[in-house]
Amino acid sequence: MAAEPAYTVASDSETTGEEKSSSPLSEISIGIDIGTSQCSIAVWNGSQVEVLKNTRNQKLMRSYVTFKSDFPSGGVSNQLAHEYDMLTGATIFNMKRLIGRLDTDSVVHASKNLPFLVQTLNIGVRPFIAALVNNMWRSTTPEEVLAIFLIELRAMAEVQLKRPVRNVVLTIPVSFSRFQLSRIERACAMAGLHVLRLMPEPTAVALLYAQQQQQAVHENMGSGSEKNALIFNMGAGYCDVAVTATAGGVSQIKALAGFTLGGEDMLQNIMHHLLPEMDNLFSSHGIEEIRKIGLLRVATQDAIHKLSFQPSVQINVDLGNGIQICKVLDRNEFEAVNQKVFEKCASLIGQCLREAKVEVEDVNDVILVGGCSYIPKIKSILTSVCKRGELYAEMNPLEAAVCGAALEGAVASGINDPFGSLDLLTIQATPLNIGIRADGNSFVPIVQRNTTMPARRELIFTTVHDNQTEALIIVYEGDETVEETNHLLGYFKITGIPPAPKGIPEINVCMDIDASNVLRVFAGVIMPGAQHPAAPFMEVRMPTVDDGHGWCAEALHRTYGSTLDLITVQKKVQK
Amino acid sequence: MASSIGSTFAGAAPSCARFKHHLHQPSRISAAHAAAGRTSTSTSHIAPQTSLYEVLGIPMGATCQEIKVAYRRLARVLHPDVASSHNTTRGSQDTSAAADEFMRVHKAYTTLSDPEKRADYDRTLFRLRRPAYVLSATNRGSGYYARRTWETDQCW
Repeated sequence: MAAEPAYTVASDSETTGEEKSSSPLSEISIGIDIGTSQCSIAVWNGSQVEVLKNTRNQKLMRSYVTFKSDFPSGGVSNQLAHEYDMLTGATIFNMKRLIGRLDTDSVVHASKNLPFLVQTLNIGVRPFIAALVNNMWRSTTPEEVLAIFLIELRAMAEVQLKRPVRNVVLTIPVSFSRFQLSRIERACAMAGLHVLRLMPEPTAVALLYAQQQQQAVHENMGSGSEKNALIFNMGAGYCDVAVTATAGGVSQIKALAGFTLGGEDMLQNIMHHLLPEMDNLFSSHGIEEIRKIGLLRVATQDAIHKLSFQPSVQINVDLGNGIQICKVLDRNEFEAVNQKVFEKCASLIGQCLREAKVEVEDVNDVILVGGCSYIPKIKSILTSVCKRGELYAEMNPLEAAVCGAALEGAVASGINDPFGSLDLLTIQATPLNIGIRADGNSFVPIVQRNTTMPARRELIFTTVHDNQTEALIIVYEGDETVEETNHLLGYFKITGIPPAPKGIPEINVCMDIDASNVLRVFAGVIMPGAQHPAAPFMEVRMPTVDDGHGWCAEALHRTYGSTLDLITVQKKVQK
Repeated sequence: MASSIGSTFAGAAPSCARFKHHLHQPSRISAAHAAAGRTSTSTSHIAPQTSLYEVLGIPMGATCQEIKVAYRRLARVLHPDVASSHNTTRGSQDTSAAADEFMRVHKAYTTLSDPEKRADYDRTLFRLRRPAYVLSATNRGSGYYARRTWETDQCW
């Protein structure tokens, strides 16, 4: 941190945009919203945010990459003759649901009936994914697929803006772990992009809202007093909620909540509803099965889209071998099949409001964005949970996140607007608890979720054995109380603890998150009465784990058990 | 008091030198900030005099609205995102100094914007002002107290 490094390493974990000090201010930054299903790109054009269009005049491009014998091509440049072309086995999509997940993850298991190959060994390693090229399964990784797609986006932006593009602000789901973020950064690095910020989707929307409020104040000479907004964003892959307090162009994120839940889940539920024995029928993943699963997928997707605008829909699909689906699906049935999805949406909203300590009556605007915002049930959940008749109507639900990201890109690269349109600031909050394993098998949070960033928190721990000379610091992120169900971020040992009875050495663990969301863990031991630490402190930038980290956690437990445990020092001053 | 954490680490480990370093940097904002930055590292007797009200630059009787306005005004200048773009050299040192200042302001804001915590704080403030209670960074015990206060002051 101290001085500008004389060299840069194109890196392993250091792929974040943190050391961005050397980049010239004039460099342009673009905002990218990589959705599970669709993707868009926007830029501050000097006076406002502009969503870029591809050569086919589309602002929204499908997020997929098709592998062919020569070179792969993605949804930016490619045009599908028909939706079915995406479902021949050669096309990988839903990268955002796969990236940074282990093969023990239920989301990965649900992805097994996508029309390409997803293999799992259920041991906590990266799943194997492959595309069908010339009747052979060619392996790839979610990072690689995403990188190919990002390269296309970058090329498209460079052609239109007539200048090189390097700096990006990407929107990400609230529920992404830091390990998943590091995979996104890796994909960006592979595509030659420099990540300025990874912005939780609803916070990007919050920034756009802050700008709109600011302009409204300028135009109407309004009060400019604080406004609370609840933002609900649901796309194909993820559902996110944020509560923000906005005044004077400053958007302060009060709370975030998110879950892996989206249109894809509804689609899968309906597919299973239409064809209950689907998983068995398609498990062999032969060419014929892939074609059938593709047919069913397209028909179901089409039906769900239609149900947003009409009360019922006729589904006719012939899967061959006597499997024929002829059915009228109405909204009630759709809503009943997806009841759990909608319940979860409502509970996320409630959770977010509670944690923001904002009463529903004090919410000024309720903003609904994302691909699922057209679903009538989602609208009705928002209006009923938030107790109001109307939702905020000043935003394009499919462009809000990418516009917010482009604004953040302009603000973070220090662009000034003479009319004050960029006098904006987002004060971010951490979406997940971060802590260490201590007190037996417990997860002890050090930075609580919804802590304003930048943040620095510390806790004191102590030894559990007499003359314990080493302690293992295992850092996790998540909302669970049992440490194993959280995301492992990394681990290291504190050594050289002077021999002492248990409970005497003070082991200080400090976590520092800077404004660009880089997490550093500092730890060391100080003996009571001593002015200096017994050994040099450790500074570890997290996450340090690699792909096989499901193995790591288990191996750590097996090898070290409780020998290097720690317990929390009880707070003596408790108010 | 937030910065006492920084000072613990500054004393503790050479690898954390950046904490120590930026604590000595004069604040760009107000006398109150500069004072807060310096006092917590060494000249500890002055520490109690930089109240959370002074950090926000507001009188003790400020209304909730005034506290919010003051917080936003300071955030607009001190938040690392803004601070770095106002400074063309954009050194990372500045960014972390800005982070420290912002965290101090935010801590003051979270305490004072919560009526219960504010009442508690006002009582502590009264006690702290008495000379018998001196926070001293030269012995470990003080850092300990500072930490405790800081710990219990988190409010989410």
